[in-house]
Amino acid sequence: MNNPPMTLSDYRRRGVLDALVLTLPAIPFALVFGLTVRESGLAAWLGWSTAPIMFSGAAQITLITLIGEGASLAAAATAALVVGARHLFYSFSMAPVMQQQPSWFRWCGPYMLIDQVFALCVDKRHLPAAEFRHYYLAAGATFWSFWMVFTALGLFVGPVIPQGLDISFATPVLFMGLLATAIDGWRKVVVAAVAMAVTLALLDLPSRSGLLLAVVVGIAVGLILEWRRPS
Amino acid sequence: MILLVILLMGLGSYGMRAIFILALADKTFPPLALRALEYVAPAVMAALVMTMLVDPGEGGAPSAAEIAGLVTAAGVALLTRNHIYVLVTAMGVYWGLGQLL
Repeated sequence: MNNPPMTLSDYRRRGVLDALVLTLPAIPFALVFGLTVRESGLAAWLGWSTAPIMFSGAAQITLITLIGEGASLAAAATAALVVGARHLFYSFSMAPVMQQQPSWFRWCGPYMLIDQVFALCVDKRHLPAAEFRHYYLAAGATFWSFWMVFTALGLFVGPVIPQGLDISFATPVLFMGLLATAIDGWRKVVVAAVAMAVTLALLDLPSRSGLLLAVVVGIAVGLILEWRRPS
Repeated sequence: MILLVILLMGLGSYGMRAIFILALADKTFPPLALRALEYVAPAVMAALVMTMLVDPGEGGAPSAAEIAGLVTAAGVALLTRNHIYVLVTAMGVYWGLGQLL
């Protein structure tokens, strides 16, 4: 490598740029959230307050939709918690990397541990601690700012993305790319395929709980493969 | 009342993301946990991709155009490790096949 080593500010810039690419396909989602708030009959500020307080798109939409439909608050909250439960896996997965980090970051970092930040940072877990932290914070702050602004915009403008232009597919596309680069070894290919198949098979379980089971089954399959043929 | 629920949800949302990071901050991981950890990211990201593609109740599987788009995304990501290339090529394949099929 002839390139000069990357400085901390290079890692921050990289974090912002990587996150920006992931924010683009999330624009329709953010606008839809604004529309969900309007249709729920909640005060706009109250519905939007879930953005900074929860900072969890799918869980926010679940909570607001169910409240709007007249479900009991307990039922809406439970469903939203189940939708958000995949974050438990992120927390577990990040725990060893976070051991190298200062305590303030272990307390603040989880607030922004959303799907996109996890997907970007899991690939960076072998970086030195400071580089990892700067990248994580830059990506997280970028996504946070985006989410605050565009969910608020959605309250007023509604979905302005033309129907014919199906940009929402870009999100699974980018996650698929991140998944591919996170995979080393054939066992992880099997694990990913199993997790996809189980998710599909359990699609009709309430509140996306099939996803949670799929992850557990996927991990179990990985461990079994390793135990059968240790390398 | 609703605000109280939202605040509690915020606590729950943060709690789920923080619990293992904080609880295991100074623990040594047993070997089995370390090995399981290796598979968490591929499993959860794969499940997430599938969740994004199919809606409950529709009972369907991803379309041919979607599958082709995902395969392209994985291939280009492995070759280039560049998010922009992934986005452009995979969306191109998806839209192109969508027009044809």
